[in-house]
Amino acid sequence: MIEAALPGAIVEVVDETGGGDHLRATVTAPQFEGLSRIDQHRLVKAAVRERFDDGSIHALSLKTAVPGS
Amino acid sequence: MADAELKQKVEELIAANPVLLFMKGTPEMPRCGFSMRVVQVLEAMDVEYGAVDVLPALQPLREVTAEISDWQTFPQLYVGGELLGGADIVEEMFDSGELAEALGVEQSAEARRAEAVAPTQAPPLQIE
Repeated sequence: MIEAALPGAIVEVVDETGGGDHLRATVTAPQFEGLSRIDQHRLVKAAVRERFDDGSIHALSLKTAVPGS
Repeated sequence: MADAELKQKVEELIAANPVLLFMKGTPEMPRCGFSMRVVQVLEAMDVEYGAVDVLPALQPLREVTAEISDWQTFPQLYVGGELLGGADIVEEMFDSGELAEALGVEQSAEARRAEAVAPTQAPPLQIE
């Protein structure tokens, strides 16, 4: 889902509780270049908003990075 | 659509407080682990900050911050009128030293803590 919204992104997701709804994701994407962290997180959160809205994700802990940094 | 009066109040608070934390609970008694983590970081940085407990009006405040900052989860830390981030971003920036820069604190918290500890470790008298 994140990869579809941010082509070229490398996404690693860890299911923190085993329940599938508390996730920790590390996202590395070329689209983040030049953006503040908050804007990087906004991009990812916008990509997964549907899943929050339908209740399938409750918590997403995020770490974002630009490739090569 | 967010409550206009509440939105105006929130905007005034953000403008009036150089460092403002919207959190669940209070700095003395955080009611959420993420809020507690941001409080701990701010305490470690030794900066003055304002804190707003969002729990009494959680949903209306979510609607307000969604409009102001495109962000609906708490905690939210505002610095200089801009949303810096939630717990993940604040901790990451604290670890990298970027938070000190954003807060206009000259040295990293680590350096300041090291300084504070140093005198007690030094011998009281130097004898040659």
